[in-house]
Amino acid sequence: MITSLPGDPGSTEILAIANLPVLWIFAVGVFAAIILQTIIYVRAARIAAPAAGISPTELKTSFRAGAVAAIGPSLAVVLVSVALLSLFGTPAVLVRVGLVGSAATETASASIAATTMGAALGDASYTQSVFAVAFMAMSLSGAMWMIATLVLTPLLKRGDSRLRSVNPALMAIIPAAALLGAFASLGIGEFGKTPVHILTVLASAAVMGACLLVARRFDQGWLREWGLGFSIVIGLIVAYSAHTTGLAPVA
Amino acid sequence: MSSTTVITTSSADLAAFDRTTSRWGRITMIAALVLSLAAPLYLVLFADLGITQTQVWIAFLAVAAVFSVLWVVEPITYYPILGPAAMYQAFMIGNIANKLLPSALVAQAAIGAKAGTKRGEFSALMAICGAAMVHVFFMLVFVGLLGSTLVSIVPTEVIDVARLYIFPSIIGAVIVQLIVSLKQPRVTMIAVGTAVVVFFVLVPAVPAIANLATGITVVTTAVLSWFLRSKRRSDSTKENS
Repeated sequence: MITSLPGDPGSTEILAIANLPVLWIFAVGVFAAIILQTIIYVRAARIAAPAAGISPTELKTSFRAGAVAAIGPSLAVVLVSVALLSLFGTPAVLVRVGLVGSAATETASASIAATTMGAALGDASYTQSVFAVAFMAMSLSGAMWMIATLVLTPLLKRGDSRLRSVNPALMAIIPAAALLGAFASLGIGEFGKTPVHILTVLASAAVMGACLLVARRFDQGWLREWGLGFSIVIGLIVAYSAHTTGLAPVA
Repeated sequence: MSSTTVITTSSADLAAFDRTTSRWGRITMIAALVLSLAAPLYLVLFADLGITQTQVWIAFLAVAAVFSVLWVVEPITYYPILGPAAMYQAFMIGNIANKLLPSALVAQAAIGAKAGTKRGEFSALMAICGAAMVHVFFMLVFVGLLGSTLVSIVPTEVIDVARLYIFPSIIGAVIVQLIVSLKQPRVTMIAVGTAVVVFFVLVPAVPAIANLATGITVVTTAVLSWFLRSKRRSDSTKENS
């Protein structure tokens, strides 16, 4: 599958550079940082447990309860990640979608970044250099989240009153407006492409709508976590059948 | 006398816990931050792709126009629920609302600890540790080790089509999810209206701004939502609940 050598700016063989061993090393390093952090936290919690009025057994129970509760949501992320492998390669998917970010923010960032280069994700304009710029932009954005956490946590710990006195209406409206504006724009952008794109957006939206409806009506919380995975799979099936039956323009 | 000693040792233990988690939470997060930037930086600098600094900055600014508000707002929003130690975990592991918070709540319920107490904080921290280990394991095994194999058994033409339509198949679902979870019908209408006007009126009229369409939509939506917000008190409390 990987035929060209790394570093061909115009090539659409993304995986030739996206799966480079160096990137694997960095990705595994991020996982190592999380594992190290967990070990240190668990040890620190064990030492301070009596002071916090919690028994070692209760610590263990909490750890296990958290682990079991995470199985479903985690496998849902796995499904979405596998679907994105051909777009970003394994190391980038592991770090960006699996860890720091989420499928929604990272694909949105990648799409926005690709647009600035006059390209779109996954088609003939999605070259190695577009991928590299998109990967850089989404990583920088993810880094800003971490920098904000590093800066704000000590301030919030000290109970900085300025941060708490931010107008609650502003805190409710502006982030919601930014998110809805961004994703509405990206969604409407797809409507300007081919009929298959439009059909795919609608199918994906319909599946998510159905999942959320069933989740609420029949009290099936797990459907909320799996909604995105199901939407992607069914969206892609719809896209494939529409594409192969000739709804798409001949490329 | 003895009770005073107990209290002092316990508060000293808690202070030590606080110091350890703050210091190592930060160190590990900075390590993750550096490593996560190193990968794309390597491609940009050494893969001979002819990428200019300007291209990177423009792409980053376009992304920043959309997400910069969230960089700041999310840590402030989650702090009261997570507490300082778990903040460094949560923003590294990701999927906070759909994975970490439910895990923490389940654990607190399992041992009967209340949120906001020390017991609750420790229970949540351990739960997030448990969730982190499960997630790391699943990602490394199913995506890292088996992912490419899974993809390789799928026919190439299916992969090619999937690559072409993966973005629309994500975006439709995410929009519905956002609309339902944010429960802000007014902002939703403004956002969709603005996006339609920008894409089907503004961009065809001024093609040069096509690359800025998302940024323009975000800023316009934010400004309009702010000035057109419901100012009646009853409405705002209803929307918050």
